[in-house]
Amino acid sequence: MTALASTAARVRQPLGRTQAIGWFIVVVGLFTVFGMGVGTGTAPSSTLTFTPVDVSHGAPWHLGNLTLPTEWTLVLLGAVIVALGAEVLVRRLAKGAMVRVGLMAIVFLVAVLVWASRQPGPSQVPFINVTAILVGSAAITMILIYGSLSGILCERAGVVNIAIEGQFLGGYLVGEMIDSATNNWLLATVGGLVIGALMGWLLAFLAIRYLSDQIIVGVVIVTMFTGLASYFNSWVLTPYPNLNNGNIASNLAIPGLMKIPIVGPTFFDETGFFYLMLVLVGLVSFALFRTRWGLRVRAVGEHPQAAASVGIGVERTRYVNVILGGAVAGVGGVAFAAIQGQFTPSITSGFGYIALAAMIFGRWRPSGAVAACTLFGVSAYLAYNLQSYQVPISTEILLMFPYLITIAVSAGLVGRVRPPAADGIPYSRE
Amino acid sequence: MRLELRGITKKFGSLTANDHIDLVVEPGQIHCLLGENGAGKSTLMNVLFGLLQADEGEILIDGQPVRLANSGDAVRRGIGMVHQHFMLVPVFSVAENVVLGFEPTRSLDRLDYARAREDIRSVSREFGLEVDPDATVESLPIGLQQRVEIIKALGHDAQLLILDEPTAVLTPQEADALMAIMRSLAASGKSILFISHKLKEVRQVSDVITVIRAGRVIGSVPPTSSESELAAMMVGREVSLVVEKAAATPREPVLEVRDLVVRDDRGLAVVDGVSLEVRAGEIVALAGVQGNGQTELVEAITGLRHVESGTVLLGGRDITNRSPREILDAGLGHIPEDRQRDGVVLSMSVADNMVLNTPRRAPFARRGTRNLAAVRDNAETLVESFDVRTSSVDAPLSSLSGGNQQKVIVARELSRPLEALVASQPTRGLDVGSIEYVHREIVRVRDEGHAVLIVSSELDEVMALGDRVAVMFQGRVTGVVDPSTSREDVGLLMAGSAPAGSR
Repeated sequence: MTALASTAARVRQPLGRTQAIGWFIVVVGLFTVFGMGVGTGTAPSSTLTFTPVDVSHGAPWHLGNLTLPTEWTLVLLGAVIVALGAEVLVRRLAKGAMVRVGLMAIVFLVAVLVWASRQPGPSQVPFINVTAILVGSAAITMILIYGSLSGILCERAGVVNIAIEGQFLGGYLVGEMIDSATNNWLLATVGGLVIGALMGWLLAFLAIRYLSDQIIVGVVIVTMFTGLASYFNSWVLTPYPNLNNGNIASNLAIPGLMKIPIVGPTFFDETGFFYLMLVLVGLVSFALFRTRWGLRVRAVGEHPQAAASVGIGVERTRYVNVILGGAVAGVGGVAFAAIQGQFTPSITSGFGYIALAAMIFGRWRPSGAVAACTLFGVSAYLAYNLQSYQVPISTEILLMFPYLITIAVSAGLVGRVRPPAADGIPYSRE
Repeated sequence: MRLELRGITKKFGSLTANDHIDLVVEPGQIHCLLGENGAGKSTLMNVLFGLLQADEGEILIDGQPVRLANSGDAVRRGIGMVHQHFMLVPVFSVAENVVLGFEPTRSLDRLDYARAREDIRSVSREFGLEVDPDATVESLPIGLQQRVEIIKALGHDAQLLILDEPTAVLTPQEADALMAIMRSLAASGKSILFISHKLKEVRQVSDVITVIRAGRVIGSVPPTSSESELAAMMVGREVSLVVEKAAATPREPVLEVRDLVVRDDRGLAVVDGVSLEVRAGEIVALAGVQGNGQTELVEAITGLRHVESGTVLLGGRDITNRSPREILDAGLGHIPEDRQRDGVVLSMSVADNMVLNTPRRAPFARRGTRNLAAVRDNAETLVESFDVRTSSVDAPLSSLSGGNQQKVIVARELSRPLEALVASQPTRGLDVGSIEYVHREIVRVRDEGHAVLIVSSELDEVMALGDRVAVMFQGRVTGVVDPSTSREDVGLLMAGSAPAGSR
């Protein structure tokens, strides 16, 4: 009788989120098979190549090109996506649905590349340079990871830092000016760290001392700083262009490791900011989940009253973490300057918000955030660069891609995410 | 530990929450602090636990005056507190919760989980409190979560345990188990300060009972005092502890719930196939430990929560998934569980609150314009007949006491044409005097021939008020019994097992 009742309940249940995601994945897979794969024309082929384009230290290795039959490759990739969707539907995956969506996105991106580069075809570029894509994406991914780590540090302690975008901008501006003046990225990093920390302190001060709505305070800080940066741009940078000379940090290749095919140029021929990011990911991960400090931070973010009842200073913890988070985002802004060069007022173009979405997609964990940032980074990079493949979609639409994923993720359309219980809720003792 | 409070006074603005309170807890003693809601018990405990600072008076531990600036100080002095709302992080493991704030570490500030587990096991062994250190707290039943709170206090080497309304969330069996634990802790030399307003359990477990009322100590008495003596001390006058009502004369069913399935915010079926029937002229009392689907059931009946499947009938009409306004207009009265959130608008006047769910109806409005004179007249009549103590009908509701706020809701709901009344926790947080009043009104509604559904987590109230008692456990009705059934059997139903001979 009880089994019957619950079956009846299930039958009458409207299309649940898990099923919706499952069907969505299946549809994407079917589109890959039938929309892009079957009937691509008279036996075209796609070629993958692996030699880096911009070889700063020479590639001691040479991998041959890999030529694939476009149609069958797409059918195969589509089948993989359909299988992922079917798995979600059949096993009623609620928790793993997010991971499947991520995998789907990656496979689909590969499929789009294979499809776009087919020869004969409209593409001007007759091959896909896998290494170039990875190297190019690594830079964007790095920026996003700085932002996500900042978000994790703040939100694990219960404060939403939506001001990451502004902290990026602050770090970028200050970093660019200091480097232009001194030609020293280390000093620039210190400058970005300080400005980020100050902006973090401002957010913390308003959110903790005055219990303001953190989202509003964050948006206000971003808006205020955008205006301030524009002002600075017209009144300082334009008259003194030598404060904005657009230097780009040179790579510090790691001898030996950089020679590994594909992996070498992607991970071991990078700027110092990339290595610093790797260290920070490990450090934040370790500190949050292995140390006493991390346990207390997470307790403050989950149940501040419980933390307070054992003598943990809730306000103090939040201050420290939001300032730390601001500092990390500020350094991220300097890193941005180090790969992008000259400052313009809208240079950060929403990366701070995407980083925040990646943090949610990654479930407030450094490891998850790294995976989500990689996905977002690769798709953003491709959106900027697919144009050269003459894809019959306008550039503007392609550039929306990372933002579309961001909307889907932050609206909770993908998987079930559970933020720290006290995230965004002002804490007061009474 | 010997704890002594001397002349503790704590004021909030013009309100004196604690007025020169003196109290002594001897080592190995279970000392009960008995008082109504709002008598100042919680304030006193917060002062003792360092969460608030007293304006006057001193705290002595083993004869030495101490200053407790925060709860960390209190814990270091050997005071442990088991809060009414557990101070546990739900997503942390038992071990993480127990060591929080006093973590054993290895190099690099790393947590020493091995030592944490070992510490918990040794406390478990010493006091017979078994629990898996690696279990996630939210996966544990409430009774075990409370045990974790106790272990946490003992783990910090508490010599004095403060238990704040510890049985409020427990089944009768779990409450009995807790009292056994309290006795064995006292036997091993720990002092226990036990806060409660439940007369039965207080007499059962205490060595000394101190009664406080309106912030003052009324007196200390032995547990042999009778319940009515204790109640009179608590309230300040003789009170009737039994609800006087004639036998019910039930007629046709008015409120019918059939195979109802409702999901909570997380998507779990918290009401899982409930069928229930309330007839005209009877009170059905729904018992159960908090969080077993009662709240969601009431929300579904009143249109505040989506019904997944099943039907709700009111006087034969299908009201399933109708809007709250349609349901209220169909003749369902609702006294909500959280009155300040769902029942009233605190910043609005008494008069406006009394027409909160009938603002469009004549004579309170005509063609979309409010008739303020009618609203006022209505309020003055109701204030008079329901004995609401307020300075004026224009006073904001926030200026009324909790009991009078509840009277405003009762007046509003009972003064309009009703088929059935659903009342959730109708006396929560009220003083004994107001409780008596609300109970009488509910019985009056029944005697006028309406159907009444009461939801309460206070077993005494359920047994006193109900003509039939339905028990809910994990989203299902585990039994419908006569109120003469023993508390033990109802307790078993509340824990999900059917006693012999029910149904």
